[in-house]
Amino acid sequence: MSGPAPTCAIVGGGLGGLVTYTTLRHGGLEPGQIEVFGTDPDPASVFRAHAAAIKQRHMRSESNGHCFARSFPGLAVRSALRRPSVRPLVDSVRDRYRPTVEEFLAHVAEVRAESGWDESFRRRRIERVRAVDGGFALDDEGVFSHVMIVPGHPGLAYPPGLEDDPRVVHAYQRHDYADEVAVVGAGMAAATEWLNALTAGASVVSVRRREPARRPLNVERRYFTKRGLAGYWRTDPEERIALLRSFVAPSYPPGPDWDEPLAHAISEGRFRVEPELNGAPQVICATGFRRGFQADPLLTDLVRAHGLETAEGWIVLAPDATVPGLTDDRRALALAGVSAQWAHPGADTLVGMKYAARGLLRRVRRWHTR
Amino acid sequence: MAYTLSGRLQSRLAAALLPLLVACVLSVALPAWWPLELAGLMIGVGLALDLAYDRLFDYQPGWVAVPLGLFELGAIVMLVRTFEIGAPLWPALAFFAASWVLAQVLAHAGLPLLRLSYGDDGGELGWIGAGLAVTTLAVFGTAGVYAWSQLPPTVHLSAGVHQGPIVITHKQHLVGERGTVVRGGIIVRADDVVVRNIATLGGEYGIEVDDAQDVVLDNVRVVGATLDGIHVRRSRVSISDCRVDSPSGWTQGIDVSFSYGMGMSMIEGCTVVGGMQGIVVDSAEADIHRNRVSTTSYQAIAMTEMSMGMVSENEVAGAVGAGIACVDQSMCMIEHNQVSGTRPDRSTPGLERQAGYGIVSDYRAEAELAENELVGNAGRVGVFAGAVVTQPD
Repeated sequence: MSGPAPTCAIVGGGLGGLVTYTTLRHGGLEPGQIEVFGTDPDPASVFRAHAAAIKQRHMRSESNGHCFARSFPGLAVRSALRRPSVRPLVDSVRDRYRPTVEEFLAHVAEVRAESGWDESFRRRRIERVRAVDGGFALDDEGVFSHVMIVPGHPGLAYPPGLEDDPRVVHAYQRHDYADEVAVVGAGMAAATEWLNALTAGASVVSVRRREPARRPLNVERRYFTKRGLAGYWRTDPEERIALLRSFVAPSYPPGPDWDEPLAHAISEGRFRVEPELNGAPQVICATGFRRGFQADPLLTDLVRAHGLETAEGWIVLAPDATVPGLTDDRRALALAGVSAQWAHPGADTLVGMKYAARGLLRRVRRWHTR
Repeated sequence: MAYTLSGRLQSRLAAALLPLLVACVLSVALPAWWPLELAGLMIGVGLALDLAYDRLFDYQPGWVAVPLGLFELGAIVMLVRTFEIGAPLWPALAFFAASWVLAQVLAHAGLPLLRLSYGDDGGELGWIGAGLAVTTLAVFGTAGVYAWSQLPPTVHLSAGVHQGPIVITHKQHLVGERGTVVRGGIIVRADDVVVRNIATLGGEYGIEVDDAQDVVLDNVRVVGATLDGIHVRRSRVSISDCRVDSPSGWTQGIDVSFSYGMGMSMIEGCTVVGGMQGIVVDSAEADIHRNRVSTTSYQAIAMTEMSMGMVSENEVAGAVGAGIACVDQSMCMIEHNQVSGTRPDRSTPGLERQAGYGIVSDYRAEAELAENELVGNAGRVGVFAGAVVTQPD
């Protein structure tokens, strides 16, 4: 892209920030035209810590869960070329391909190195975003025409009353396993922890009040394209809130890799389900992250300062994930990641983050060609 | 991929564009219309099925393309046969397979590379999609105009008697109204000529075809030709639903000769009455099918001089000499014919094959017989001079 340089800022230096960055770079922006504000230059630092804590070996995402701007070639194609083997391709067309966490982290490192990310990165936590004439002011860092806010998850969630319990550790914190472990929750992290604890020789009590759904992804596949999104966007606020709640219900993928170890442990009397905690010496809370913009100081401030429309914990966004009241033909403010679920139910996935990034890129291009 | 309907259609057209252009090149190079007809059929079937797929699949995993491709292939094969598209099997299968592979490569790699939001948009291509639709229509429109421009002119003959002979030396459709008669016959000396709904009266030959390919004689009637009713030399013809009334003497109803190696001629649904021979194929390849031949004075139907072909479902009645003859090293499949009332030829005493046989095989000819009905003939099957007749067990 030539001509006058738009000034873009990305608030958030995690995977969502990296995906936005590569998309803008693909659109022709130079590293000097983009500033990324974050607390760690490694975009995978938070994910790495979480994955290590739960000893996650494979991603839940598939071949297209990567940080490149274009969806092709995906991780399956790259893996097939690297090995070389057609197996990843065959698995991919069967929707069975799951990259390893190791492969994914290597991919993130590669993208970081090749994209110019470090040139654009500023180690700085942005606390306030304000709409001003010609763009958005980020603390004292200047005014940017186009801003993507990707704050990530606002913190770990604990069941009420357990946060200060000395027996408790969150699944996403580094931990070992006692002889008897109670795992609270029933999603992907919980299922991973069941197997981890069983492998470590512990007996496991799964504490849950409802049975988890078994599905490959936490959001139905049709919601990742216009086919499902068009209907999603037509919903009224109440329907949409109900849908979003259904998507956060606990689930983990189907398959013998999960079922067989559990069945074996049940037969040995080492795994059982309870509705409530029963005095186990160690309690692992696999209860995910705090939800809602109210849990994030930056977003809370933004909503209050500009009187943004909200629906329960979600900021109301346009279908392209921009903030309607603050976006026009001169500037764009967009959200990505979990805070963009009003626009895209899978916004906290890599594909969903890319969707929001592409929306911002369209705005940037429109601005340029005005 | 969870395609939108529009995304399916646009992706289909995008994948079809290159095969369509290849089909255009092939059609010009061969030259033949089948590549373009096949490409059109593939696009039509694909677009029609996309309407059904849209309802069937909210999300379509990659592997589903394989069974869907096979299903589409089956539908296309059926339609190729229904519409009688002259596509040779293996080249047509190769064309389909290459097009399918290209479609997969485009869907998984090419189009996502071309358009950043291809996946997000459910396969939609934006203005590119509209451009593809226009381009596809333009290609077919251009092909249609070209095909139309290549159609031979049609000459209509009004009812009544026209003085002949009419000599046709370029591609043409000559079509008569009801009651059109040409006195003195018609001579065809060009390829791709069609003569339809016309009667001829008199002349040495009612209709003469010389050195011409793909000539169609349809619903013609020939009366009073002094030599051959329909006389074909070094040509490939399709004669259907004709009627030939031959006067007595050295006359023949239909004579297709010296056309070996030029492809199979077809004589079908004709009625031939009188003359010395009804239908003669001499040094040629032909199918003689569902004709009625009667009251000939030498042989009703004859394949001779190394001819080859099938004689099937014909009705031969009241012939003198022989009903159906396979002669002089010819190879004939003679099946499901009715031959009745064949009488000996008293004018050729001592010539055994003329002794009134329903079927004759003579001089090293090979006749394969099946399910023929021979009734009231002086002889049933005569085999002479090293000829062979085989019949199924």
